[in-house]
Amino acid sequence: MAGWHGGVVMAVRLRTEPKLENPVLIASWPGIGNIGLIAVNTLVGMVRAEEFGEIEPWDFFYPKKVSIRNGVLEDLEFPANSFYFKKTEKRDLLFFIGEEQPTNGGRAYAEGTQAYQMANLVLDVAMKFGCRRVYTSGAAVAPIHHTLRPRVWAVPNTEGLINELKGYENTVLMSDIEGRGGQGNITGLNGLLLGVAKRRGLEAVCFMGEIPIYLQGFPIPYPKASKAVLEVLTAALGISIQMDRIDAVVERSEREIERLYEMVPQEIKEQLDKLKYVSSAGPSEEGPITEKDKRRILEDIDRFFKREPKED
Amino acid sequence: MQTSSLVVGWSQDAGDLGTKVIDYLIEDLGCQEFGEIEPADFFPLEGVAVEDDVAQFPESRFYWCPEKNLVVFKSNPPTSRWYKFLNCILDVAQDYCHSKELYTVGGMVYFSAHTTPRELLTTASLLEMKQILSRYDLARDTNYETPPGQRPTLNSFLLWVAKRRNVAAANLWVPIPFYLVGAEDPGASWKTIEFLDRRLGLGIDFKDLDEEMARQNERIAQLRITLPEIDTYISRLESNLSLTQEESEKLAREVEEFLRKKD
Repeated sequence: MAGWHGGVVMAVRLRTEPKLENPVLIASWPGIGNIGLIAVNTLVGMVRAEEFGEIEPWDFFYPKKVSIRNGVLEDLEFPANSFYFKKTEKRDLLFFIGEEQPTNGGRAYAEGTQAYQMANLVLDVAMKFGCRRVYTSGAAVAPIHHTLRPRVWAVPNTEGLINELKGYENTVLMSDIEGRGGQGNITGLNGLLLGVAKRRGLEAVCFMGEIPIYLQGFPIPYPKASKAVLEVLTAALGISIQMDRIDAVVERSEREIERLYEMVPQEIKEQLDKLKYVSSAGPSEEGPITEKDKRRILEDIDRFFKREPKED
Repeated sequence: MQTSSLVVGWSQDAGDLGTKVIDYLIEDLGCQEFGEIEPADFFPLEGVAVEDDVAQFPESRFYWCPEKNLVVFKSNPPTSRWYKFLNCILDVAQDYCHSKELYTVGGMVYFSAHTTPRELLTTASLLEMKQILSRYDLARDTNYETPPGQRPTLNSFLLWVAKRRNVAAANLWVPIPFYLVGAEDPGASWKTIEFLDRRLGLGIDFKDLDEEMARQNERIAQLRITLPEIDTYISRLESNLSLTQEESEKLAREVEEFLRKKD
């Protein structure tokens, strides 16, 4: 099948066309800590979803590998953009996993025409199979300590979903986050898909696992938040999966983060340790440090890591 | 043009090889510009870069020399929508110029001395092209896979697009001594142009290029006399001995700075 987006015909290749009943789409692209990507990859693996198609990548991506045999170009490999499906007793699932976000130039996140084209192609396939609900996932950079359980920030694309989201354990809305007043940004395709889905009349939710503010700049995954996202996502889908596999990954990651943490100067570590008592979930959950303390900690952290808080 | 061959070179290439080869062909054969690819879709256009005191702007231009059935394309490498850009090149070549063969020019960084004879390596899009190239003294049995953490070159991407369109194409690669990568390597230009001259029957006058090669060799010889340490490093490379990273960096820095100085 082909999509006509932005005046350019782009192709989706489907090897089979599974018969699906009101499937939901779960889509993910890389982002901070690869939180969403790890959650969705784990889910695809646990439910043994079957790959059945892809978006032709060459209009979006620079190739990642060339193979030359005996002086003749044999193949050029591009980042994968694959669709998967799984029929379950409860509901049918459709997945899309993008290995990279299409970017213009050297940016980390998709934006502009190409991002819009890709979002539309993903939704073309979802709607072809009768999908009316979309989930994406990503990271929420938050002033929390890595020893705490990350919460999941949920952003719907319609007000009608808010009550449903309030019912999920360990989940907060933007308006629950102190100082945000329900405002924020979700960078890249994990966010853009919500907007494009809204434009095309589909319900969509982005689940973002919290990552400590001081870890956002490290090129390491943060599976602890992926697990939190996975717990909420499976609850939303009404399915249950074994968490053993991701638990093992979380355990390894914790050891790695502790090792990095030990390398942080003592003075900074003392400030970071105070984040164990910070709650960003609003005034009803007061911690043992004051607002003034919290502001100072964030300023110190920001100075040390020279970064601004954000979501993806 | 009833038939033609297309030669493609990119700026910001190792040893400035792409630009040097294309400029020499344009100058020597009197090629005329006849078209360009608009930059808006392919370059960020968020301002201009300044190089050597001068504001730069991305350029992607086609030139032709009807008497020699030759089309050349010189461009900055695009930073987005690469597939569309590369197809634009082939659209022009095939639809307007009836190009039957495509050659790309590229330098590859190599740990060798500038006194080592240059070699020309090729990768073909199709088996038929490899057979055509077998008539020439080229290294043409390369086996290669992009190592993890690196990306293929734009020339490889163009070769793949040509293969998809069943166009006979070849990447021409010349190993460039690492200490000439930031400067220029007329020896590599000579090797590439000499092949194109034979293959495409261009009748190139090599006088200017010969002089440039001789001049650069003389200047590096002068540097070797002035700085015995640099002479030692180059002598070791000539004897196939390795250098430490620090020595390599010093050699590259000294040679580049010396060659940049005006005569």
